[in-house]
Amino acid sequence: MDMHLILYSAAAGLMLIGIAGIVLPSHLLRIIFAVALLEAGANLLLLLASFKEGTAAPIMLESGFPANMADPVPQALVLTAIVIGVGILALALILALKVRAAYGTLDMRKVRQRMEHDIAEEAGISMPSSSQTPRVIVSKGTVDE
Amino acid sequence: MNNLLLMVALPLFTAFLLPVMERVSPVLAKLAGPLVLAITSVLGISLWAGMEQPVVIQLGGFLPPMGITFYADKLSMLFAVAASLGTLLLWPDESEQPIRQSSLALILAAAGSGLALSGDLFNIYVFYELVAVVSYGLIASRPTAAAMAATLRYLVISAFGAALILAGIALVYQATGTLNLAQLAQLAPQHLHNLQGLSAFVLILIGVGVKAELFPVNTWVPEVYATAPERVSALLAGVVSKLALLVVVKLLVLVFQMPEAHMIMLALGIMGVLTGELAAWRATDYRRMLAFSSIGQLGTIFIAFSVPGEAGVFAGLAVALHHLLLKPALFMLARRWGGSLANLSGAGRTSPLAAGLFILLALSLIGVPPLPGFWAKLLVLVNLAGQGQALYYLGGMVILVGAALEANYLFRVASGFYHEPSKAVILSPHKGKDMLIAGLLSSVLLTSVLFISPLADRLHEIAREATDVETYINRVQPVRLAPINVAVVQP
Repeated sequence: MDMHLILYSAAAGLMLIGIAGIVLPSHLLRIIFAVALLEAGANLLLLLASFKEGTAAPIMLESGFPANMADPVPQALVLTAIVIGVGILALALILALKVRAAYGTLDMRKVRQRMEHDIAEEAGISMPSSSQTPRVIVSKGTVDE
Repeated sequence: MNNLLLMVALPLFTAFLLPVMERVSPVLAKLAGPLVLAITSVLGISLWAGMEQPVVIQLGGFLPPMGITFYADKLSMLFAVAASLGTLLLWPDESEQPIRQSSLALILAAAGSGLALSGDLFNIYVFYELVAVVSYGLIASRPTAAAMAATLRYLVISAFGAALILAGIALVYQATGTLNLAQLAQLAPQHLHNLQGLSAFVLILIGVGVKAELFPVNTWVPEVYATAPERVSALLAGVVSKLALLVVVKLLVLVFQMPEAHMIMLALGIMGVLTGELAAWRATDYRRMLAFSSIGQLGTIFIAFSVPGEAGVFAGLAVALHHLLLKPALFMLARRWGGSLANLSGAGRTSPLAAGLFILLALSLIGVPPLPGFWAKLLVLVNLAGQGQALYYLGGMVILVGAALEANYLFRVASGFYHEPSKAVILSPHKGKDMLIAGLLSSVLLTSVLFISPLADRLHEIAREATDVETYINRVQPVRLAPINVAVVQP
């Protein structure tokens, strides 16, 4: 099969898994890891933008640049993107730890509920009564603290 | 012309120096940040005033597509100065914040200026991420659990957007083999005005739209503005959203000049106005009312920019600058008025000046005649009516409906000021500094009423220069270069 086709479908697949992983689950760690997958997919897509088989690494030798050199621009960009991605991942995990320490849960729906409650309390608004609030369905898959 | 680079380099350098400086002399460290921003603001304004033609800098002497290009026309300079000056004005309160916050604010100013001046997509992406990361730190500076949760939710949406931008950049690079905006402008009609180009634009629009509070990716707005310090909310709503918008506008004008691209932006803007204004109408606390109305107003700005050509940029610029002045001023009143709107009844007696300012700002926001908000909205509506397409008419109608909703909820608050004071809550008066900033911004707004016509001429000139694609290409590349990997370029 065509190498390009396989790689392009891998990139698209990773991005789709990433987007689904951000939208569907309610466990914070899964969401954060899905973000990492989405970024990996985008990075792969970027590398593929100028991918040719059998090219040499874009490193200057004593004799000058190699004849069939790979395009260095996407590689530099992806390197930057990976570094930024790692930094953001670390920051997200720290924030998740802090949220867990405060609310005792990593369930996004519960976190959101508690946050809304805190905001309303600080603003001095009474929360809508229980008959008005939408019922929160806790699925089996969620991990409670 | 290297002065231009100082606008980015100086705050960035100082930001990393501040923690060291604090050990030597805490007083010096506190003064250094505002001082540097004052210098860069003055520098930027003097460059802006003396600029006759767009200025191009190839960093390190490398030519595109390898080199990094800074392109300063009047539009970019305007927003670069806004980033410096805005951060200076909304400087984090030293009394309660550690020196880290000052460092973050400085990086925000540097990255914001860089974002405005960058002439290639690679750099735009890097500066955009820098702005994003810094804003997480600034939002989470209040150590409450709600602020952490809001920051985390914002971070996830923002990272999602960044990945979409990367994917969009990949599509652009795949089609053209360059990321330099001038080269892209040159190659776009051949290689990017197709389905691939449109997908790239939509990916980048949604990605950058996270910061610009664009319709489907703005769920973070009410949470963040309700939990972040007022000045950070003011910065995000006032300055950072406009910088993200500037990226979209630049790309739209230079690269993705397609009717479909304009239509998509228009449709998302319309949704933004409807959802934002309706949510603001229902909001029961001051901060979230401002947050939702900000979504609505950014929707209006997107609608304004969706009109193709010079006229669209002119009108969009007018509403964007108007919002840039107003929103920070309204957020400055939130420190004391931040709670439930019901608490504000009788506030007109305890703090008459703040109430007066609020009413003035509200009138301009709605668009009541002599105030600048009216002229900006009028310009947008005239443009939309002149397009002769159903969706543009709908955009105009939605803006009018949005203005009616704005009038309703803002007057509801304003009339509350003069009701019997509520006995339960006694609001303390505003801090002097907050009032000073709000007053300063409002007085700029009032002064501009007198100079509407010269201001409009100036904006028109900026818009004309910004839409002049031919000059952009020629200034960056006196010799037209071919992209390096021509082999990748599809026939």
